[in-house]
Amino acid sequence: MNITARTSFQIQRDVVYALLLREISSRFGKSRVGFLWVLIEPVAHLVFPIALFGFVLERAIPGVDYPLFLVYGFMPFLLFKTICLQTMDGTRANRGLLSYRQVLLMDVFIAKVMAHCAVSACVFAVVLGGLALLGFEVLPPLPIELFGVLALTVALAFGLGMLFAALGSVSPELKTIARLVFIPLYFLSGILFPISRFPEEWMAWLALNPVVHLVELSRHTALPDYKLLPHLGIAYPLAVAMASTFMGLALYRLRWLSRAAA
Amino acid sequence: MIRLENLTKSYLTMRGRKVVFRDLSLEIPSGANVGLIGRNGAGKSTLMRLLSAVDLPDAGKIVTDGRLSWPVGLMGGMQGTMTGRDNVKFVCRIHGVRGAGMREKIDYVREFAQLGSYFDEPVATYSSGMRARLAFGTSMAFEFDYYLIDEVLAVGDADFKAKSRSVFAERLTKACVVLVSHNMNLIRKMCDLVVHLDRGRAALYTDVEQGIAAYQGAGGES
Repeated sequence: MNITARTSFQIQRDVVYALLLREISSRFGKSRVGFLWVLIEPVAHLVFPIALFGFVLERAIPGVDYPLFLVYGFMPFLLFKTICLQTMDGTRANRGLLSYRQVLLMDVFIAKVMAHCAVSACVFAVVLGGLALLGFEVLPPLPIELFGVLALTVALAFGLGMLFAALGSVSPELKTIARLVFIPLYFLSGILFPISRFPEEWMAWLALNPVVHLVELSRHTALPDYKLLPHLGIAYPLAVAMASTFMGLALYRLRWLSRAAA
Repeated sequence: MIRLENLTKSYLTMRGRKVVFRDLSLEIPSGANVGLIGRNGAGKSTLMRLLSAVDLPDAGKIVTDGRLSWPVGLMGGMQGTMTGRDNVKFVCRIHGVRGAGMREKIDYVREFAQLGSYFDEPVATYSSGMRARLAFGTSMAFEFDYYLIDEVLAVGDADFKAKSRSVFAERLTKACVVLVSHNMNLIRKMCDLVVHLDRGRAALYTDVEQGIAAYQGAGGES
């Protein structure tokens, strides 16, 4: 017998590990310099706005270094956007893999999220290292809280991603709409400039977007003296993350997501 | 033994729900090679999908005391950007085969598929024949109690066909097949009993000829 009996947990662990290696090697192995592009692409995302706005808006936010403001805003936003879209499309990619009975859609999701978190950690380490070399005070005063905010971002992205995937199984057009929503979201989440720039009376509406809470919380924990606006806090994104993850998992159980894969 | 217990499976289509099986129950005894026959759309492939757990039934379950393979010669699981070797490693890993066991499998597949230096090239650069050889070799590297085969069995040139046939024949001394085919000669040659699928019902024939006759009577080709 060359296939040993394993417990469900061991099977899942083996499968996630195999998928993780596969995910990493397919990301890094696209070309000879594939591993460089994995880093360059997101770094470019950050470097251009820093270079462009960093000098223009140098004194735009009193008491805050603009590049750090940008990086700590981008960090949760990019994490959110990529994981959300990747989970949404995860039902379509890797369909062939599901022909192996050990491989479940959830394993594919888990491996993708883990791979992306690992890559993101490297990218931000590189960016922050670069800024540290330039003389910025990059280390966050509240590192554990920052980590918590980023973990919540991943959970929110994953939950909403599953929800979108389920909706996409009803009508694929809804996925296109979800993708389009990310364009205004970029501006409405206050990535390039703080949302306090928006008129005061908009605030209640802007605060309906859970991402803006996470972006501001990330800055609040990572930048000294960065004050949180009164409308924002951890409770709302936490509630949305829990609700969407619950609904996403429920729809997963009901096989709405794998139906989309079939 | 493979037992289907009140298996119900339907798919949602644009024009509503299409039921493929309703309350299908069937027991396939141990040690028998099974041929699945039926007209196009009778649900053969659906049943194979359920057996290989690609898809799950709406209700009911499949009980077995044996190990069922993935669909033999499956190529969808091969990732184009990865090398043949890495694809084999992936299959080993999800089956919990590591270390020396994994090296053994890799050697077996490399030997079997005869890809030469292409074994360490990305699968995307393979010809369709090479890909099929890799996929078939990977299937043969693992020992199962049932091999699930949907139609295609013979791939590659005459030489490879002869080899795969002999390896497979050797394997069948210890294992069984569940074979979907429209080729009645193949069914006659390989199967000990047939399951005829027709309009959501399944009939088990221990006499292969009788099953084939039922299939042809129901409008199937010879």
